[in-house]
Amino acid sequence: MASILEKLKSMFGPGEETGSSAQIVTETPATAVSSQESAPVSEPTPTPPAPASPPPMEELAPTPMMRTVIQAPVVSDAADLPDSEEILIRAQPSPTGDQCVFRINRPLFPGHSWFFKDFESAEGSPLAEVIFTNDEVETLLVHEQSFTITRYDQNNFEWEKFAREIGAVVRETLQEGGPVLKESIVRDMPDEEKIREDIQKVIDLEVNPGVAGHGGQITLTGIQGNTINIQMGGGCQGCSSADLTLKVGIHNAFRKAVPFVGAIYDETDHAAGLNPYFS
Amino acid sequence: MPKLTRFKVTIETGDVGMDEPVHFNINSHKVPFEDVRGSAQAGQTFEGGFEINSFAHSLTLVGPETGQWNIKKLKVDLDLEGAEPYSVTFGEVALDETNEVNIWRDPPVPVFEV
Repeated sequence: MASILEKLKSMFGPGEETGSSAQIVTETPATAVSSQESAPVSEPTPTPPAPASPPPMEELAPTPMMRTVIQAPVVSDAADLPDSEEILIRAQPSPTGDQCVFRINRPLFPGHSWFFKDFESAEGSPLAEVIFTNDEVETLLVHEQSFTITRYDQNNFEWEKFAREIGAVVRETLQEGGPVLKESIVRDMPDEEKIREDIQKVIDLEVNPGVAGHGGQITLTGIQGNTINIQMGGGCQGCSSADLTLKVGIHNAFRKAVPFVGAIYDETDHAAGLNPYFS
Repeated sequence: MPKLTRFKVTIETGDVGMDEPVHFNINSHKVPFEDVRGSAQAGQTFEGGFEINSFAHSLTLVGPETGQWNIKKLKVDLDLEGAEPYSVTFGEVALDETNEVNIWRDPPVPVFEV
């Protein structure tokens, strides 16, 4: 082995005895060393042919530009309510049937939202109290001029009878004209910047480290009052478990760390892009 | 996903228009509109449609190859097989060679007064 190294050293000459040349020696395959060994020491090492230079840019076919699909705001919606002196309530079950949105032509909590996780949390809020008198109600989310209800029976997609019962008690409460929510909810609401900071902290320290294992990433995209908008990126975008991650993992983490968080909306277009997770 | 029989767009252009033919993209196939009326120049209204008779997995309005196109209002009338026709109206959007705007919306879910 020592003689082989000596011969190779002599091939490169004393001036080229550098770290890089030593690296070449140790990485040379055995067969190549053997052929160099048989070559006359005085002959220069044959240089490999230079790789063909790439064709000039103008000869290459133009790469088709990938366009970004953007979303335009919808300005008319069948669920919009007309102006009226009368209290109008319109119910719209979700396409999946697991919840129902009720829109009202009266403000309930302007600029903010509030989540009632159960019957006990409704105490002191007249609107929530009357809604939770219905045993089927599991959760209630009040947001500006609407509220959303989920029921215990997630397999019951028949909403009309239930919605009429809810509509009747809500209308009666609003006609009485008193406060809709508990005074302390409105009074103690932290400012938007404080909520933003706290939510960002939860995302950075708890949520993102958790979803990073699946290549996912959660981004806080906006906050209005105490209403949070997020986007799910990386491995979360288009993932079939994204809804579960949102409703169980992210919702719980946010609400536990920042109790004044109201609605949490996922703005992600889970079907967009070239490689959504489920495609 | 229901079968899209036909659709029609009515596009009101804002302060920046364009001269190119208007195209849409269905399932990543770029197609020019048929039954075209009007234009996409500033302040003008463009109308066009297409008999699709297929399943739409994506439906977008394509931006111009050069320059910008400021759309003020965009109405889409959709006719699905076995369902009532419905319309969706979108607000302002700016298109150029880098983007296209989604013009598909699922049929509206039932709404009732309570």
